[in-house]
Amino acid sequence: MAKKRYAIVLDASKCLNCKACTVACKLENDVPVGQETYRIWVTENRLHGNFPNLTQTFQPSQCQHCENTPCASVCPTNATYKTEEGVVLVDYDKCVLCKACMTACPYDARFVDEHLAAVEKCTMCYHRLPDRDPACVETCPTKVRVFGDINDPESKASKLLAKNSYYRLKPSVNTRPRLFYVD
Amino acid sequence: MGKGQLSLSRRKFLQVSGAAASSVAAGGLLNTVKATASEHSITNSSGNKEKFVPSACAMCVNKCGLVAHVVDGRIEKLNPNHKFFKSRSMLCARGNAGAAEPYNPDRLKKPLLRVGKRGEGKWKEISWEEAYKLAAERLAELKQKYKNRSSVAFVSTEGFQEEFFNMLSTSYGSTNTVRHPTLCLASVIQGWSSVFGTYPDADLTEADFVLMLGANRAESFVTPDTIDFQKSMPKKQTLVYVDPRFTATAAKSDKWYAIKPGTDLAFVLALINVIVTENWYDENFVNENTHGFEDLIKHVKLYTPEWAEKECEIPADEIRWVARQYAKYAPRSVIYPGRRTSWYVNDVYFRRACAILTAITGCWDEPGGVIPKSSIPLAKHDGALYPFYDMVKPRIDVSRESSINHLIPNDERAKKGLPQDSCAYLSEKDGSWIVFRDSVLKSDPYPVKGMFIFKQNPVEAVPNREKTLKMLQQMEFICTIDIQMSDTAWYSDLILPESTYLERWDPCHSLSGIWPIVVARQPVIEPIFDTKSMKEITAGIVNEMLKIPSLWDDCWESDVKSFKETVVKPILNQPTEKFIEHQLSKYPGAYEMMLKEGVFYIDDTAKYGKTKKKDFRYKTKTGKIEIYNVRYEDDGLSPLPVYASPSQPKPNEFRMILGRHAWNTHSGTQNNEYLHEIEPENAVWINDKRAFELGIMDGDYVYVKSSVGEQKIKAKVTRKIRPDCIFYTHGFGRLSKGLSLVYKTGASQSAILEDYVDSISGNAAMHETFVEIRKA
Amino acid sequence: MTTHTERVSNLASKTLTTSLIVIGIILLAIGGYASLQVFLQGHEAVYAVNREVPWGLLIATYAYFVITSTGLAFIGGLGHAFGFEKYSKMSKRIVVMAFVILLAGFTQIGMEIGHPIRLMIYLILSPNLNAPIVWMGVFYGIELVILAVELYIIFKPNKKESDHNTAKIVGFFALLVGVLATSNLGYVFGSLNARPFYHGVYFSIFLVISGITAGAALLLAIHNIIYKFNVPENLYSSMKALGKLMGAGIGVMIFLYLWKILSSLYTQPGDSYLAAKALLTGPLSINFWVGELVLAVILPLAIIVFSKASNMKALGIAGIVFMIGLFFTRYDFIVAGQLPPMREGLAGSGVHTVNGLAQYAPSATEWMIFALGWGVFLVLYFLAERFLILDTKEH
Repeated sequence: MAKKRYAIVLDASKCLNCKACTVACKLENDVPVGQETYRIWVTENRLHGNFPNLTQTFQPSQCQHCENTPCASVCPTNATYKTEEGVVLVDYDKCVLCKACMTACPYDARFVDEHLAAVEKCTMCYHRLPDRDPACVETCPTKVRVFGDINDPESKASKLLAKNSYYRLKPSVNTRPRLFYVD
Repeated sequence: MGKGQLSLSRRKFLQVSGAAASSVAAGGLLNTVKATASEHSITNSSGNKEKFVPSACAMCVNKCGLVAHVVDGRIEKLNPNHKFFKSRSMLCARGNAGAAEPYNPDRLKKPLLRVGKRGEGKWKEISWEEAYKLAAERLAELKQKYKNRSSVAFVSTEGFQEEFFNMLSTSYGSTNTVRHPTLCLASVIQGWSSVFGTYPDADLTEADFVLMLGANRAESFVTPDTIDFQKSMPKKQTLVYVDPRFTATAAKSDKWYAIKPGTDLAFVLALINVIVTENWYDENFVNENTHGFEDLIKHVKLYTPEWAEKECEIPADEIRWVARQYAKYAPRSVIYPGRRTSWYVNDVYFRRACAILTAITGCWDEPGGVIPKSSIPLAKHDGALYPFYDMVKPRIDVSRESSINHLIPNDERAKKGLPQDSCAYLSEKDGSWIVFRDSVLKSDPYPVKGMFIFKQNPVEAVPNREKTLKMLQQMEFICTIDIQMSDTAWYSDLILPESTYLERWDPCHSLSGIWPIVVARQPVIEPIFDTKSMKEITAGIVNEMLKIPSLWDDCWESDVKSFKETVVKPILNQPTEKFIEHQLSKYPGAYEMMLKEGVFYIDDTAKYGKTKKKDFRYKTKTGKIEIYNVRYEDDGLSPLPVYASPSQPKPNEFRMILGRHAWNTHSGTQNNEYLHEIEPENAVWINDKRAFELGIMDGDYVYVKSSVGEQKIKAKVTRKIRPDCIFYTHGFGRLSKGLSLVYKTGASQSAILEDYVDSISGNAAMHETFVEIRKA
Repeated sequence: MTTHTERVSNLASKTLTTSLIVIGIILLAIGGYASLQVFLQGHEAVYAVNREVPWGLLIATYAYFVITSTGLAFIGGLGHAFGFEKYSKMSKRIVVMAFVILLAGFTQIGMEIGHPIRLMIYLILSPNLNAPIVWMGVFYGIELVILAVELYIIFKPNKKESDHNTAKIVGFFALLVGVLATSNLGYVFGSLNARPFYHGVYFSIFLVISGITAGAALLLAIHNIIYKFNVPENLYSSMKALGKLMGAGIGVMIFLYLWKILSSLYTQPGDSYLAAKALLTGPLSINFWVGELVLAVILPLAIIVFSKASNMKALGIAGIVFMIGLFFTRYDFIVAGQLPPMREGLAGSGVHTVNGLAQYAPSATEWMIFALGWGVFLVLYFLAERFLILDTKEH
């Protein structure tokens, strides 16, 4: 049985900037209300053009679950680790809050959760996998995110990657993210 | 006043059971729906009692199905109910945040009686018994004092418990029931019904061309349209969006036209002109189904694209392009009916024009077009009998004597087909909020001195807050039923805390549309505080009312007896589960399905073609699709939509336009901490060039001033709005200290909006206010 | 003669050392109060570090102290192990100073890390051998032990000839491990691919050089303070040597600064450019131009050059000024590298930026913890001056 490679494929062109995903994530994962404490976000990209010829896109994002994981490399206690499917997680009991992972992360995906007294980030709702989709994937009105095993060619995620050109964020840092944005 | 003069429609619960024409229930599930986890309470691996309970959301009007994840009696999360196909397996930001509502620290927890001055915020907690008694006694007092049951108004907004609030108003017998449609969609219902006899939906899953005027579906969620237009639409669907503001929908559209506000009718008339003059119309459809096409040809002759360009500031070439594309893809083209139409005083004519465009191209009742709604009929409570009361005067907004012409702006439109003295068509149940308030303030033709308000917040929902507050001060008794200390509750005398939607049983609602479905609610958790459902409240008050003889001295004793036997005993004094069971009794297995899956439906396929059946008769006077409306002609209105220019703001003024964001519902959700942190304070959108002229930078505070009020608000300087308009969101700048997150934070809309109406439907026109802006 | 000097120096320093100890105790009290607030309210409530700038004042002060310590150990090693007699004349003070200032540094990192005890446990149980912080911890830990051993050797009552050799070996390792530890500390920043301003070899090299310079500066300063700006003649040559070492160190620092800044500016390379701009013209500009360049480079170097490293008092002033400027040097680099945000501060992103840069300014509590570090240094070091004989006999 081939090892699983979990990934999320996003079609940001369908994103309505409705914030369903960000709220669902906070409730699913007990993320505290607060301006700094968020696992996922939806950015309103810069407005282009002059009135009335304007365009604007929205970009949902979160921890990229990199294959070349800068956060896991610098974590002194191995609190940050990767599961065999490639999901990057934090063992809260081992986290010493040295914050090396926060300075190492090129995506500003991590934050300190003072209730947990540890560093937090998107876990791909690992506790839901594989029977249920991550909360952000499930709740989205237009199904911007598709979760799947990209080692399985029959998965919806694999098919999307096969049929579309896609990009990943900050390719110059060579982190090889598991979040793919369809063009 | 004799019984014979009473309007028959008041006896809305007197129904004669006819031949039941129910369709056969399939009993089980069909087709394509995904599985839901719908387990009974189990003990999970950590030893907690865990269950997944299906129910329906109430954070907005869409009522999406949800499955609540409850652990040890606490709601952990609300997830989409994949069986509820109307929302295509989604739960939005508000739906998710609803999990925090029962635990909101600002929630109302016990009945409260005002002890200080009205609006002072001093309360005394009382028991439910005392509260019911008080409410019943006040109702009796007001009836005796004013000899008119309509001296107490019953104000509500839609919801699953509204029928029980209606039972209260009907039990008391007031004709002054005021509801939300004239703050929202009365004009669009009126406009489309005047053509097709019904207010339809649009099939965005099949349409190849969609023209959306103002309906910002990306941010004003309507299921399934909000989902379909981005997720389930045909790959090559063209979306043309028309709005003075660059909303999220504009960002998703293929073309956006920044139309001059108030001129949408000109645009649509020009589209009709192109289609008629260039022969793009569907001749067969027109001949077979419509009335008045010949008149239309004459009527639209002058409404050329060149003419329209001057009115709406959309180039004539573009108008032609839109018309031709629309026609090219017909009948799989949609001019989207929309929902909120509290825009301008001639919205009914504008909506008529949209319906006429649909009619002449035959984009009706087939895949990809505009579709009349279907619904799953539920069993009603036949034979529920309410007493006929003598001491009742007719609706105040209908029977008023003075004119309403001060509620219509004094411009060209006033002279073209808008009744000046009174509203042409008001719904018996809904009335017209603006006209109602105006009549109450004048006590014209009689005083209204009591109010029962359920689930609505008129202080912030109705334009011209000063007038609403003045009206409230005129009251001798105000009882508000709500889950939070809304601004209206803040000014009330008796506040009854309702259980949230997650803590109660709610009767079934049959949600109509292209994919009809039925939902109900079951408690996901037990009520955390001393709160009750509206049903229990109605039962409580009515049972107390029955102890007061003076409340029953203007009706027959036998009426009271029937009332007790057909309403009080079997409905009010029974658990709501019985009510639900009865509603679903036509369909074997439906009740069980509802409890287990949270939904009931016959099948999940789209419903087209019910008007295409032989001998189908449209609900219009002629029985046909009325391009030319004969009843309008009889009633002195324009039978065809006639255009007149709206007034314009002066060079130093702006027009205030309204709209939504996807994370709040009206003025009801801003105090939820998960939603509040998305938008902690509202900001006024000002076009960057105008802002520069006024010396306003992004983030500066400004004063927005109209003829009825002034508010201080942060400025958002942006290219996303026309230079002649400003915009800011609803639900901020609140007066109630019980909404701690938004008390006096940001600006109130109702404080500055002037009150106007579309006098055909009575719908408030909220985009007619001009404001001045200056730096703070 | 030495007896006379000792007696004189001991007499003279009683009031001085006592007052410095008292100041140290006051600083300890302030730091203690702050520590209490940290334990009661939690880091997030009292520190100003945020999601975009997670490493703030306390990392800078930690670096300030521990790097100076290894710099001192380097000079001590030059003395003990490599026979530079001018430095070995000060070896006692060097070792005590290095040890105490290393402890001061540990108080800073102890108050900065959220779970310091957990760190010590898991460093043994499940260390990530790839993590720069692990090696930083290992080497600084070993350095502490080495310095403790050196202290023992120095103050051991009955010294043998073999002790002299042991001291040589231990001194050598103090130098070596110190260089490893400090360059590793630089590598904690230099390993971060996500932070272009940090990434690479610069900080490892710069810290070692500036650490040695700091060691020299601190020695010049402390000797002048102890001898009330009247350093005895027998130490003149040592002081001069230190002065030249400090001057040379600053010279190399200028060289490193020049190329670092140029390579961060020329053709505007992304985040490095933003960080450099923040230093030169942005929010850190006063820190940089006045704090770093004037106080840590121009002024001390000018004093050294114009006094030809021969005026003891002047060298003392240069040392003090350099140690003030050094604080800014540490703080600026650490903060500047984090100011360019990883994501733009657009609406909905959750990132807060002003003029495209993240924001940070230390909180009062953070400053008070810095006082804790100084308190530890002042109390422990001047207690040692007071009750131990720190003048090094000729040997």
